[in-house]
Amino acid sequence: MLLGSATSVAPDTSERMRGFLSFAQRRRAWLAALFLILFPLVAPFKALAAMILIYGLYALGFNILFGYLGLLSFGHSALFGTGAYFCGIAITHFGLPWWAALALGVLGGVLAAAAIGALAIRTLGIYFAMVTLALSQCLYYLFYEATDWTGGENGLTGVNVKTINLFGFHLDFVNPIVHYYVIAAFVIVALFALSRILASPFGAVIEGVRESEARARASGIDVARVRFVTFVVSGAFCGLAGALLALHLSIVPIETMHYDTSGLAVMMCLLGGMGTFFGPFIGAAIFLLLENLVSLYTVHWQLIVGAAFIACVLFFPRGVWGTILQRSRT
Amino acid sequence: MSGDIILRTHNVSKRFGRLNALNGVSAEFRRNVITSIIGPNGAGKSTYFNLLCGALRPSSGRIEFEGRDVTGLPQHRFAHMGIVKSFQITTLFPQLSAHENVRLAAQTRVTVFDMWRPRASLKMLNEQADFILERVGLGHRRDRPAALLAHGEQRALEIAVALASEPKLLLLDEPTAGMSPQETREMMDLIVRLAAERTIILVEHKMKLVLGISDWLIVLHHGELLAEGAPDDIKRNELVKRVYLGQRDH
Amino acid sequence: MADLTLQLLGLQLFTGIALGALYVLLAIGLSLIFGMLTVVNFAHGAFYMLGAYVGLWLLMHGVNFWTALILVPLAIGALGLLVERTLIRPLYGRGLDYPLLLTFGLSYMIVELVRVFFGNTGYPVDTPDVLQGAVDIGVGYFPLYRLFVIAATVVVLVGLWLFLERTSFGLIVRAGARDPEIVRILGVNIARVWLIVFGIGTGLAGLAGLLAAPLQGVIPEMGGPILAESFVVTVVGGMGSLLGAVVAGLLVGVVVSMTSLFAPEMSRVAIFALMAIVLLLRPQGFFGRAGLMS
Repeated sequence: MLLGSATSVAPDTSERMRGFLSFAQRRRAWLAALFLILFPLVAPFKALAAMILIYGLYALGFNILFGYLGLLSFGHSALFGTGAYFCGIAITHFGLPWWAALALGVLGGVLAAAAIGALAIRTLGIYFAMVTLALSQCLYYLFYEATDWTGGENGLTGVNVKTINLFGFHLDFVNPIVHYYVIAAFVIVALFALSRILASPFGAVIEGVRESEARARASGIDVARVRFVTFVVSGAFCGLAGALLALHLSIVPIETMHYDTSGLAVMMCLLGGMGTFFGPFIGAAIFLLLENLVSLYTVHWQLIVGAAFIACVLFFPRGVWGTILQRSRT
Repeated sequence: MSGDIILRTHNVSKRFGRLNALNGVSAEFRRNVITSIIGPNGAGKSTYFNLLCGALRPSSGRIEFEGRDVTGLPQHRFAHMGIVKSFQITTLFPQLSAHENVRLAAQTRVTVFDMWRPRASLKMLNEQADFILERVGLGHRRDRPAALLAHGEQRALEIAVALASEPKLLLLDEPTAGMSPQETREMMDLIVRLAAERTIILVEHKMKLVLGISDWLIVLHHGELLAEGAPDDIKRNELVKRVYLGQRDH
Repeated sequence: MADLTLQLLGLQLFTGIALGALYVLLAIGLSLIFGMLTVVNFAHGAFYMLGAYVGLWLLMHGVNFWTALILVPLAIGALGLLVERTLIRPLYGRGLDYPLLLTFGLSYMIVELVRVFFGNTGYPVDTPDVLQGAVDIGVGYFPLYRLFVIAATVVVLVGLWLFLERTSFGLIVRAGARDPEIVRILGVNIARVWLIVFGIGTGLAGLAGLLAAPLQGVIPEMGGPILAESFVVTVVGGMGSLLGAVVAGLLVGVVVSMTSLFAPEMSRVAIFALMAIVLLLRPQGFFGRAGLMS
């Protein structure tokens, strides 16, 4: 009934809009890649553009769990932070090349997710947010105390990568444009991987578990295992984001592991639109742009961002992109 | 194969705290026939049903499927062995299309954790899903989200989803609850057609409804087995009559 | 030598109980709110911090400590009422995650608001004159103020117990925590019960903040770590169980103080290890019901 009335009176523009959105849905990874390649041409600060990429990827990793599976974690800073520290430690302590450090960052995210996930999955529903928060806090203290490895309170400094050697090419990683495109390349790879996972049989299972746990179980799905595996997949994306952050900043601040960083993923994801492909990046962009703009006028930008988030929870739970998608459908 | 025992319960009980919901029920279910579990409200039908499909674990006693002890296995293992239930209150994937509901249920037999292949490449599953949808009369509703289907259509989709798991044993919990007389007749016809290829266990509150289609009846009362037998015997059984008549007094 | 160690252990035990008392106050509020409203209050740490700051403000303006002890819980409780009525109530029925997300956003704002008025740096808070010094408690001299924290918590717990056991409102709360259906069937105005329970919970958090202020001073970020630790207490004790909150709160307090005696660098990590063990052995917590989890 709802569907019928909408199509019969829909004006031309919304028809075109819907066509575009369905195209965007089908070619989502290509579209995102194109945008990221053109992005620095419009973005005022390359460093900010790179931050949007990195935090967008982090929020995207979080979105796999929260948006697609429907499980709210407040411990994702541990996955992001472990990725960053593994990458940083690989470079500063072991002198490994950048690509090995990135791979170790992904591994760090996976390991942290497996450790937290194995425990947190034993509890369900509303407990999950509490337990993941507590366990990430535990990792925060562990990294904080291991000063020899992590630099403790001062963060891990000296994660310097000056050139990126790739198939005989020597790219100048200090050049902001090169710097941006190197990071963008990894984000694009991650986007294609996510798009693929979402379209896979496992992607269907994730949606099913979100839609009805009871039905999924009766259909022969081991729900606990699906939750665990999704958590670990999410950890791989967040670990990559953390590793890229370490390369980008040349330092891993201890705040990367902090509870506030977990909250960041939640806010970006919800602002942009949870459970949507582009939402996390849009959310990250809104958040970081708001932060940069508002902090020109006041140091208390968190008030504005917090208010925007609360308004989002109350009135636009689908976020910016989710609301656009919904409007175009009805 | 018809006639041998597919499922057997030995003295199963279920307690919730201090409440004895089910008390030492032993029964056998024959293959490729329709067995109905009936009884008045609070007889323990739903508890027994949920033990049979693995959604609950018995407090004591043993459950055997095809001669194998399956007591206490998680529910998804029951599903893999071919014991599949449909829910009394419609439980579907509401935002997913009718087709995807059925396709996903079928997919879990093939793969759950495959993250790389496109799901569209599993063509066989798509065809199977369409076939099952046609079979339960929902072919024309293929792409509609389950939440937007009419009540009767949702009940039919519920059956389709259960069928997609290729059950050897299909457990149906009051499949006609809330249906119009017309829809009820169609559902009963469907059940009889399905019974040609598989074992069906039916839980039903209204005895009259199932007397005609059941091969065997199990009557529960106050959590215990009151009687079992062919429909004609149950119809004449004095104990059963008294229990159901007693019900009507209220 | 052996005497000295025993003495040290005894004193450390009391230090742990004093710390545990704060956890108990926080966890009881969290558990009450969750048990009745099924809302996980992520702003609980922020209310705790706000209680400390409101107390500081009152003390700076010449209000004496004892009056502040009454005013702070009332003020934070009133704020809780306002928050439940205006922000959380519209979210009932929209899934358990939404009130949680909202209280998270709220805590984000409260912390920043406190920074606006009090700056980023912390303040020390003086122990009231009459509570300074130490008393001999048999195993040695123990700070009087910590003893007072324990006593105050006991008084609050007894008061809360009487309130829950002896008043008809308390009866509703207890029944509601066990089975929300029952309360609905009884025809009680459930919205009003939820409102008041939320106010009581936040008021207790504010009180805990004020009691903690002379021990640790105040900073805007003080609510974050304690929120995580209170979650550990509620998970260990069993969500929704008041007895669990008391037992687990004291246990966690003692575990923290004992590990800080033997391995100071591990004291922060120890309670999470405790939670991990409980999750492995008894996922629903000491006094939790398995049913709540699924």
